Amino acid sequence: MSRRHDVNKEVEKEVYCGTLPVLPKERKYGFLDALLVLSGYCIATWSYTQGSYLATLVGFKQLLIGAFLAAIFMLLIYQVPVIMSTRYGIDIWIWLRSVFGPMGNKIVTIVIIVINFPWYAVCCELFADSMENLLGLFGIQLFNGAHLILSLSCVVIGTIIALRGVSTITWTTRILVPLLLLVGVAVVVVGFTSVPMDVIWNYQPELVGDADKTVNYVLSIEANFAFVITLVGGMAEVPRLCKSEKSGYYAGVLGQGAAGSFFVVVGAVMAIAMQHVTGVMVDDPTLMMATLSAPILGLSSLLLVAFANIGTQAVGSYIYGVMLKSTFKKASYKILVLILGVYVALLCVWGKITEYFGSFLTIGACVYAPLAALLFVDFFLVRKQKIDLKSAYELPGHNAYKYSKGFNIVGVVCLALGFGFTLLIFDPIRVVIHNKILFMLTPTFASFLFTGLLYYLLCRIPGIRHYVRRDTYAGPDKKPFDRAKTPPRQNIILLPLMWLACKIIVKPYKLKIDKHNMEGIKPPFLVYGSHNSFMDFYVTPLALKPYRANYISELEGFENFGEWIYRQVGCLGTRKFINDQYLIKNIIKVIKRGDIMVIYPEARYANVGTNSHLTPSVAKLAKLLKVPVVTINMQGNYLQQPIWNLKERKGARLHADLKCVVTRDEIEKLSVDEILSRISKELTYDEYKYQLENKIVIDDEWRAEGLHFPLYKCRKCGKDFAMTTSGSKITCKYCGDSYEMDELGQLHSSSGEIIRIPDWYEWQRGFVHEEIREGRYKLDIPVRIWALPNAVNFVDCGEGRFIHDNSGFSLEFDNYRSEKHETLKFPAKSMTSLHTEYDYRGKYGPCVTLSTYDDTFFIYPTDESRDVFNPTKIQFATEYLGGLYK
Amino acid sequence: MEQDKELESRIEEILKAEKENKIPRMTKRDYIIAAVITFICLLGIIGGFFL
Repeated sequence: MSRRHDVNKEVEKEVYCGTLPVLPKERKYGFLDALLVLSGYCIATWSYTQGSYLATLVGFKQLLIGAFLAAIFMLLIYQVPVIMSTRYGIDIWIWLRSVFGPMGNKIVTIVIIVINFPWYAVCCELFADSMENLLGLFGIQLFNGAHLILSLSCVVIGTIIALRGVSTITWTTRILVPLLLLVGVAVVVVGFTSVPMDVIWNYQPELVGDADKTVNYVLSIEANFAFVITLVGGMAEVPRLCKSEKSGYYAGVLGQGAAGSFFVVVGAVMAIAMQHVTGVMVDDPTLMMATLSAPILGLSSLLLVAFANIGTQAVGSYIYGVMLKSTFKKASYKILVLILGVYVALLCVWGKITEYFGSFLTIGACVYAPLAALLFVDFFLVRKQKIDLKSAYELPGHNAYKYSKGFNIVGVVCLALGFGFTLLIFDPIRVVIHNKILFMLTPTFASFLFTGLLYYLLCRIPGIRHYVRRDTYAGPDKKPFDRAKTPPRQNIILLPLMWLACKIIVKPYKLKIDKHNMEGIKPPFLVYGSHNSFMDFYVTPLALKPYRANYISELEGFENFGEWIYRQVGCLGTRKFINDQYLIKNIIKVIKRGDIMVIYPEARYANVGTNSHLTPSVAKLAKLLKVPVVTINMQGNYLQQPIWNLKERKGARLHADLKCVVTRDEIEKLSVDEILSRISKELTYDEYKYQLENKIVIDDEWRAEGLHFPLYKCRKCGKDFAMTTSGSKITCKYCGDSYEMDELGQLHSSSGEIIRIPDWYEWQRGFVHEEIREGRYKLDIPVRIWALPNAVNFVDCGEGRFIHDNSGFSLEFDNYRSEKHETLKFPAKSMTSLHTEYDYRGKYGPCVTLSTYDDTFFIYPTDESRDVFNPTKIQFATEYLGGLYK
Repeated sequence: MEQDKELESRIEEILKAEKENKIPRMTKRDYIIAAVITFICLLGIIGGFFL
């Protein structure tokens, strides 16, 4: 087996094992272990560069504040999300797939490496400086270009070590960390003893040109923010190995904030001491020790620093090589390390990385600050500390984080805007402040706040929330919806916008509204409306204009559009076919405050454009409220978008009749039956009759597609669930009997017979009634169950058993609320009808729902039961058993 | 395929461990301490403007 093969195998193993979730029993690090490892990572020689850079900006006291307090402040905030790494044993690069998508994450990885890797060019520069300076001290003058050769040699040796793989790197690290500590100790001793303490304590930099003390202080804070924030890339692997969340978190904070910052301060002390003695500020510890103590100390430190810089470069190439390998699995590790080597070499050839140290820090922070903000907000406020690990690891069948071709557009856009926002405040290359007020927050922190807020607000928008939170099933919110909450009045600011939106939506369908007996009718009053499609919610507000109204809505609308907006447009959330006393109380509150209460008493869309029977409770409510009763009978809404096919039919025309059917004077005098009779009369409708009478042509070629959901029984062979649809035809898949739907909504058989859709629909109902009467009706099938507890998300309840017979419904499943396998019973007499869907939200297929006070269960067929699950037939049976039809 | 199986079993184990709180969580007290230190640091940074 060749050595080359060994390295590849080692790295493959490292990449594989390096990305697997670390199990609790495999965790190695307590707080102290993690602190030591992270401290080791933070005390590379670049700490001295940072220290000397800070010393050019501020005095020693401000420098101390920046190095410790600013670093710890930023770390305390942006290290919080590493809790997730510890909890799940994953590094943040796995988690970031949920924020950016797997493809977006690849791009972010490359960007991070591009902005982070200049750190290693700093090491190479320091190595070359040390060599040059020390040789100079011994009187050896180097030729032109020797500096570049020296820095490149650091790149080459570091790259060769990295290419030798994990075992060489392990040994390098074992030697490197103690070496760096030794150098640090030597610098501390020499730095603090070679000049009087008060020189360091009272140090103030000379301000050059138009430099401003406050601006310099902000720049120093910014440099500290940037310094700690950009190191996260290399430190991301450690927290997942910690035994507790607290140890992972505080080790990260103190590893950088205390140990790392201490060496930054040491670098500053060294630079101040050197300036005091020689008049020149340097960031090279070798030169300082040779100058401030003895050349022999400089010589020995040279060996330490030289190896430390080469070692750091090697470890960096290795860490980022493995990181790239885990992102680009097919690429060769060696090629990736060589690419990294070439990148650092090019930076060395450029030769200005030390000069532009502050700029490169801020540019790095321009990316890291929004990144940290996204992690923070995503962790606490968006995903609420839950991710779908299987999707994060892209296991087959788990695609929650695929988003748009592998990119989470929201995350990527926020990152880009956060980056741009920083540049709007400050130009790090030319060191120009564009916005002094925001600059006072520091560009990094301002960008952190901006991006965090932007991401949070975007994720509050329902459509975007659904897009980002495709993983709600992994950690769903189970708190039941607050039905008791008093519904607000329709938002007066949103109301004109709502009317405008309604007007725009109904415009193509030429809505005509007729009002009858409405003279002198002012709120409060009760409105009962026909219920055909979602269009009802656009027509009703226009009919009631200029008054505000409140509407009863099923909870799934709240989940779909967002609770806030639904409440602002005046919706009262409830569940269907339950005895909701809170709803009654809220209806009374609406009426008492003088508003209109709109109710669609059928509580379900018309399946074939005809009305359902109404129950006496409709009239009893009117009597209880003692206000006028108005009906709104809307026509054309079903034709425009029937429930069995949600594609919009452009040929539909809308009409609505608004009519006061019971005045305030009459409400006390009339009986419940009389009121019910008036309401029922006004809410009788037949959409196909309306279409035919008004010659409304709907000529879409696909006009019959989906009609087999309400018309499931073959009129010829009598088989249930026999019909299929295609284009404008409905056909029996058993006997081949076929009907063509004409442009006026009538069905034509091949023999010339004309069938009205509502007639076929009602014809089926009779057979279900007969089955029940003869005791033959029973459905006992496996189903897939999703619960909707609130306006936030669905909860996957897995597979269960759905039984419907003369006694009512039984739902047997693993109830997430009780965490038990149990059977919920819904007695037949408790439900007069049933909520049905033929293709829920246009993508989830047919379902029925059953509700308790705290959950609505959406019940879908499994592959096994798909052929015998028909919502229409179940609804017919429910309505008969519940007493709505005799 | 083998790797997927191992990964899946590890994920299951991690989720079980999470449910059983095998990795001790940050407590409310820990968060409060972190928030207090953050605030003190912020005060220190603001104080730095007056030096």
